[in-house]
Amino acid sequence: MTPRRLIPLAALFLTAALVAACAAINIGSFVERGFDMSVVRTFEWAPADHLATGDPRLDNNEFFQRYLKAAVERELMNRGIERVEAGMADVVVHYHASVTQRVDTAGADEKYGLCEDCRPSVFDAGTLTLDLVDAGTSRLVWRGWAERSIQGVLESQSQMERDVDAAVSLILARLPAPLRIAKR
Amino acid sequence: MRRLACVCLVAAAVTAAGCATTMNVSSYVERGTDFTQFRTYDWGPADALPTGDPRLDDDPFFLDHFEGAIETAMAGKGYRLAERGMPDLLIHYHAAITPRIDINRLDSERGYCYDGDCRVRTIESETGTLVIDVVDSRTNKLIWRGWAQHGVVDILNNRDRMETRIDQAVARMLEELPSAQLGAN
Repeated sequence: MTPRRLIPLAALFLTAALVAACAAINIGSFVERGFDMSVVRTFEWAPADHLATGDPRLDNNEFFQRYLKAAVERELMNRGIERVEAGMADVVVHYHASVTQRVDTAGADEKYGLCEDCRPSVFDAGTLTLDLVDAGTSRLVWRGWAERSIQGVLESQSQMERDVDAAVSLILARLPAPLRIAKR
Repeated sequence: MRRLACVCLVAAAVTAAGCATTMNVSSYVERGTDFTQFRTYDWGPADALPTGDPRLDDDPFFLDHFEGAIETAMAGKGYRLAERGMPDLLIHYHAAITPRIDINRLDSERGYCYDGDCRVRTIESETGTLVIDVVDSRTNKLIWRGWAQHGVVDILNNRDRMETRIDQAVARMLEELPSAQLGAN
C-alpha cells in the first residue's frame, strides 16, 4: 500500500480513536501496596453518606443508591466476595457519586481537524468512586473510580441504570487479580 | 453594521427567552409499585441539604406556595392530605439553585453568533431544581421522585413569576406520578 493510500486509512483510525475516547468512560484505581487482596472473602456496606453530589437530582436518590448497591453486590459476588452482616466482613465498601460541570475546549478536535466548528463546550461529568477499607485496620486498601459525561443520563431511569451497570463492571474489573481468582 | 446590531439584539432576546422557557422535567419510580393502594399523604421531615442560595433558605413565601401547589396537584391525582392517623405516603421536597456556565450554547443550537468574528462567549446562569419525593410510610422506602429544572434568573426577584413557575413545575412533575386510583388522570 502506498503512503498516499495510507493517509486516509490513518485518518479513519485516528477519527475512530478520538470519537471512542470522547465517548469512553475514564476508569482508574489505586491499591495499597503490600495488602494481600486474596484474603478478602466478605464485605459489608459502610453507612451511606449524605453529602451533596453536586446535582440535586442525585442527592439522597434512593433509586440510584439501591441500583448501585445491587450492581456492586452482583459484581463482587462474581469475584467470590460475599456480603455479610455488619461487623463480620473483611472489607467495608464505601461509594460516592459526584457531578461537576466541565469545559471541553475541543483541543484535540481542533488539532486534528476533526470538527467543523471547533469551539469549546460544557458538559456534566459524573464520577463514581468505590472504596474498599480494611475492616480490621480501617485503612483504605483500594479505590476505583469511573468518570464520564452524563449529559442526558439522569433524565432517564433506564439510562441511569445502564450507566451504573457499565461503570461498576469496569471499576471492579480493576480489582487486583488475586481477589478475582480467590477460592471460597 | 446595522444588520449586525439587529442580529445581536435578536440573539439577546432569544437568549433571555431561551433561559426562561426551557423546563426539564423527569421522574423515577419504584417499578412494580401498586399506587392504587395509597390514598392519603402527609409532609415528611425536611432534609438537611442546603438550597445553595440564601434567598431561598427558609423563605416562607416560597415554601407555602410550593406546598400549596403540591397539595393541589396531589388532589388532582386522587390523594388527600391525611387528617388523622398514619398516612399512606410521606412527601419530602427540596429546592436547590446551582450555578452553571454555558459556552456558545445558542450559537451551536441556533447557528448564529453574537459578534462578527464569532468569538467564544461564556454565559453564567443559575439553574433551580425542585425535587419531590414520595415515600411509602409503612416501609419508609422512596417509591417515586420527580424533579423540574429551570433557569431562575428572572424569577427570584419577582414573586408573581415565581408563583407561576412553581405551579408549572409542580403540575408537570406530578403529571408523571401514578394516580391513587385507576382512571383518576
